[in-house]
This record gives sequence, structure tokens and C-alpha cells, in this order.
Amino acid sequence: MLVDFEQIQKAQAGDDAAFNRVVVAYRKRIFGTIARLIGRPEDVEDVAQEVFLRLYFSLDQLRTPEVFEPWLYRLTVNASYDYLRRQRRRSESRMADLSEQQVMMADAVAGGKQSHEEQRRKQVKEFVESLLDTVSEEDRILLTLKEVEGLSLKELEKIYSVNENALKVRLFRARQRVLKAFEASQRKPAKAEAGG
Amino acid sequence: MDKFYDELNALLSEYRDSVPDFDANAEFMPKLWQRIDARRSVIFRMKRLTQVFVAGAAALCLLMAGVLVLPPASASNDPALRGSYADILAESHPIESLAALGIVRDASELNGK
Repeated sequence: MLVDFEQIQKAQAGDDAAFNRVVVAYRKRIFGTIARLIGRPEDVEDVAQEVFLRLYFSLDQLRTPEVFEPWLYRLTVNASYDYLRRQRRRSESRMADLSEQQVMMADAVAGGKQSHEEQRRKQVKEFVESLLDTVSEEDRILLTLKEVEGLSLKELEKIYSVNENALKVRLFRARQRVLKAFEASQRKPAKAEAGG
Repeated sequence: MDKFYDELNALLSEYRDSVPDFDANAEFMPKLWQRIDARRSVIFRMKRLTQVFVAGAAALCLLMAGVLVLPPASASNDPALRGSYADILAESHPIESLAALGIVRDASELNGK
């Protein structure tokens, strides 16, 4: 826990200063989680605001302060999921706005300004995000929480309110889907080389 | 398959490092409180509106109950509306006119009355 139970109880009782302290304590972690869940740094603040807004207005529903962290994660997951769903609806029209050549040029210009290490990170980030884009929002979030955020099955159980076995099945399927996309992406260049 | 599995795991952990935790800018907290205050005022207005609506509905219910339970003053003065339906029917069909039509009331019924 990053804050005392007492602070959470005070925030529940309507103490705005205590709520402020809770936000300050958790915002960095929540920002990082959202950034990895949605993959768009420019929208992280908006989603984080939504998370803390939901937290403020639902804090009185929290029965015990012990479950605060999984509960906050659940709010984060829900807000990220809502964002990803909205984003998916918009994505087609956004892609239509830019031609492939424009996208490549923008990438090249942005890449030229960065160091090699930064470029490598950017490539990894983009590649993993393209893999995660091939699966549903639910699979993406679940897999990111487990494999990237490093949450345990016990923690995921509390967030999703499902038993461990169901969670394992969902995780296995999500991982298989991403693995399939990864395999396909690895075979494409090989085929292209063989063909060329 | 295992090779891909390991590569994917390595990629995911590398992805974790490529998106490190970062803190909010200075505007984050003021903006958050603005949004909280805006939502609070909307909720407050909705609460007030609901209270007014509930009070109005309760007053209307009382009024309607009053209209239904208390008989109107004009109705008590109207002879046609006094007494039961059977009395009114009996008044409008005297025995004489019923006898003219060949309808004879039972003696026991007349005695009982």
C-alpha cells in the first residue's frame, strides 16, 4: 500500500485533503499502467483523470480499505477498456486521413531526432502495440496486466472477481492469440526474403 | 513454438521498460478538482430537482386522495346522488308503474322493506 488505511478512510468520509494525498501517492503508478494498457502517451492524463474521478465518486462503495489497490486497478482497467473501445471505433477514420507514405515520412522525421536507444525502444513499443492490437481489448488488458505489469494471479483474481482457473484459461487463450500474431509477423519477412 | 514463446516474453518485458512510469504535469490536480467540482454541482442540482419533484408528487398525491375520499359538496345536495343505487332505482320505478307492466313485487320483500 502506498498510503495508510487511515487516509483512505478519511477520503471515504469526505476529506478532500486525504483524497488529494491518495491521488498523489498513486498517480505515478496509475499513469504508467494506463500508458502500457492503452499505448498512447498523449491520452494517458485524460484516462487517469477519469480513473480518479470515478474513484472520488465511488469511494463510499469501498467496504474495506484492504481491497483498495485491486479496486483502484479495476477502475483503471475499466477506464482503459472504455478508452480502447472508443479508440477502436475511431481508428478506421483516423487511418484514412493519412496515406501510408505520410505515416512513413512522419516516422522517419521523428526517428531522425532520436538516439539509437530511443529508436530501439520506440520500435519495441510499436511492435508490441501492433501485436496487442490484433487481439480484443479484454485480452490486451489482461495480458498487459499479467505479462507487462507483472501482477500475480491472486491480484488479478481480486481485480476481475473470477476464480484462478477461469483466469488461467483466459490468459492462456489471450497469450495464444498474441503468439499467433507474433509468429505470423516473424514468418512474413522470411517469406518476403525467400520470394525476393 | 517455444522459441516464439520465449521471444514474446522477452519482448513484453522489454515493452515494460520502453514505457516507464512517469508523473503528471502541474495541471493534473487542478484539472481533476475542476472536473470533480463540475460533477458535484451537477449531482447537487439533480438532487435538488429530485427533491422538488418528490415533494410536488407527494402534494399532488395528497390532493388527489382528498378529491377521491371527500365527497364534493355539490353532490350531497343533489337528491339523485343521495343513497345507494338500489334506492335510486326503487324511487324511479314506483310499485304502481311496475304493476302496470305486470311486475309484482314479492310480499315478503315488501314486508321486509
